[in-house]
Amino acid sequence: MQANVGAVAAASQAQEARAQRDARQDRLFSWLLKGCALLVLACLLGAAGATLWGGRHAFGTFGWHFLFSAEWDPGTDTYGALVPVYGTIATSLIALIIAVPVSFGIAIYLSEVAPAWLRTPVASAIELLAGIPSIIYGMWGLFIFAPFFADHIKPWLTSYLGDKPDDGKLSWVAAHVPFVGKLFGSDYPFGASILTAGIVLAVMIVPFISSVMREVFQTVPSRLKESAYALGSSTWEVSWDIVLPYTRSAVIGGIFLGLGRALGETMAVTFVLGNAMKLSPSLLDPGASIASTIANQFSEAAGLQKSTLMALAFLLFVVTFIVLLIARWMLRQMAHKEGR
Amino acid sequence: MTESAAAGIHPQSAATPAPIAPTKLKVRDLHFYYNGYHALKGINMDIPEKKVTAIIGPSGCGKSTLLRIFNRIYAIYPKLEAKGEIVLDGENILDPGYSMNRLRSKVGMVFQKPVPFPMTIFENVAYGIRHHEKLSRADMEIRVEQALRSAALWDEVKDKLKQSALGLSGGQQQRLCIARGIALKPEVLLLDEPTSALDPIATGRIEQLVEELKSEYTIVIVTHNMQQAARCSDLTAFMYLGELIEFDRTEQIFTKPSKKQTEDYITGRFG
Repeated sequence: MQANVGAVAAASQAQEARAQRDARQDRLFSWLLKGCALLVLACLLGAAGATLWGGRHAFGTFGWHFLFSAEWDPGTDTYGALVPVYGTIATSLIALIIAVPVSFGIAIYLSEVAPAWLRTPVASAIELLAGIPSIIYGMWGLFIFAPFFADHIKPWLTSYLGDKPDDGKLSWVAAHVPFVGKLFGSDYPFGASILTAGIVLAVMIVPFISSVMREVFQTVPSRLKESAYALGSSTWEVSWDIVLPYTRSAVIGGIFLGLGRALGETMAVTFVLGNAMKLSPSLLDPGASIASTIANQFSEAAGLQKSTLMALAFLLFVVTFIVLLIARWMLRQMAHKEGR
Repeated sequence: MTESAAAGIHPQSAATPAPIAPTKLKVRDLHFYYNGYHALKGINMDIPEKKVTAIIGPSGCGKSTLLRIFNRIYAIYPKLEAKGEIVLDGENILDPGYSMNRLRSKVGMVFQKPVPFPMTIFENVAYGIRHHEKLSRADMEIRVEQALRSAALWDEVKDKLKQSALGLSGGQQQRLCIARGIALKPEVLLLDEPTSALDPIATGRIEQLVEELKSEYTIVIVTHNMQQAARCSDLTAFMYLGELIEFDRTEQIFTKPSKKQTEDYITGRFG
């Protein structure tokens, strides 16, 4: 009887010790995790702070004017960020406008329509496409796509949509729809342009967006889709009304992942954008993006020009941040509209 | 095989109940294959109009499979094949030429777990109607209200039609799914274990609802719960291993089943 009591006491002591050890380990573990998470934050703040510090001369010299000036003259050391900021946003938007519907089509095809034997090979091919280094897209863009664009696509666009057609005859669209003529008018004979860069970027981000979409589309419970089919929905209606709203936040996340990549993409864009520090309303004229400007000029820049490039890098941070904010805001608006 | 084949063919057999109402769905020699696996083996049954027909049987006996053929929902998956005839109002719905859209407006279905769409409560009900009819805003509101009233849900949701359906309780969600089904004014309503995910109170409400709905709809309910079949059906079919063993008036099945297997199942000796 006594021995029994002793054994119970010993067991409860052991249990106590075990509980204390567990608590200690869990505390250590949670610090470790916190450290990992804070490291990311520190890197982000460090990078943003370093570019802001590096760009302080440019911000100090040009002030707010820096943001709205299209001037870029290393001779007189006057710089404005408008051309690269515009180029960055325009190329990325074009890329999204092209890539989002295409990716949606690919993802719906692979998750809802394609026969089972075709799904895995096509999905792996898309993932491979996502892994191709951007320099290869850039070379393809420069040597193959841009000449093709200049020979076959651009003449068609300038003569049917632009305000400076070769034969001098304005098309109906250019004459009647505002802005279109300006967007597609160009005297410049080469393939490198904002539109070219946007198309190449679209090809680059399609794999990202479509593989995210495909993955989340597969998480839609089949009973949800069955319920919609049971009400007489077609595949299109199930995809558009059920699958897309159900996965909306992840889909928007995927789109903005693609957009983030498009905003920061350097090599491919530098190859096909033309690198002209000149503001033109036409999508068929060459331009510059923040990343391409930095890549082109960093090796020779010094003094104020170098500081300007740092300031541009900081602006890229800001643009990306604003894009993320817009994404959040859109999600909130949609959730609100849906009654949540 | 022989037993189930006998079910529809010999009128005096216990498997064919004396007609209590005109036949709505006539199933003839129905076979079903999953990837070549023979899941239903020659089903014959006459489902009467505006009655509740329960299908019971152990897991894997093919009762849900049978139900899923009645609106051809199985056809959205590859490699599934049904052979035989199911005649609804004189037409074979398994005929490839039979319009899916039309079939699904005539045969509604409610699934095991409540599956509200990620939309508002109003839109959940209006969604299906839009596939079949073009209604004005006012007419649509009337239809949605009717459907919600028939599903005994109106009083609980009338003030929050614009809110997401995902915020409703499980029982309310399931009644919303029933409302969504009857909003199309179908002729047949298929219920696939509609209460298996619900608590006893919500289950009671659904059963009461089934009782009310049978004056207007032909109801086929698959259930795991024998008491449920006994409580709310007029006819009960017992299935086992892909065959229809016995199909008769519910009281007959639960008091004097004519087949040994049926008796063993309802007395809890297996299943």
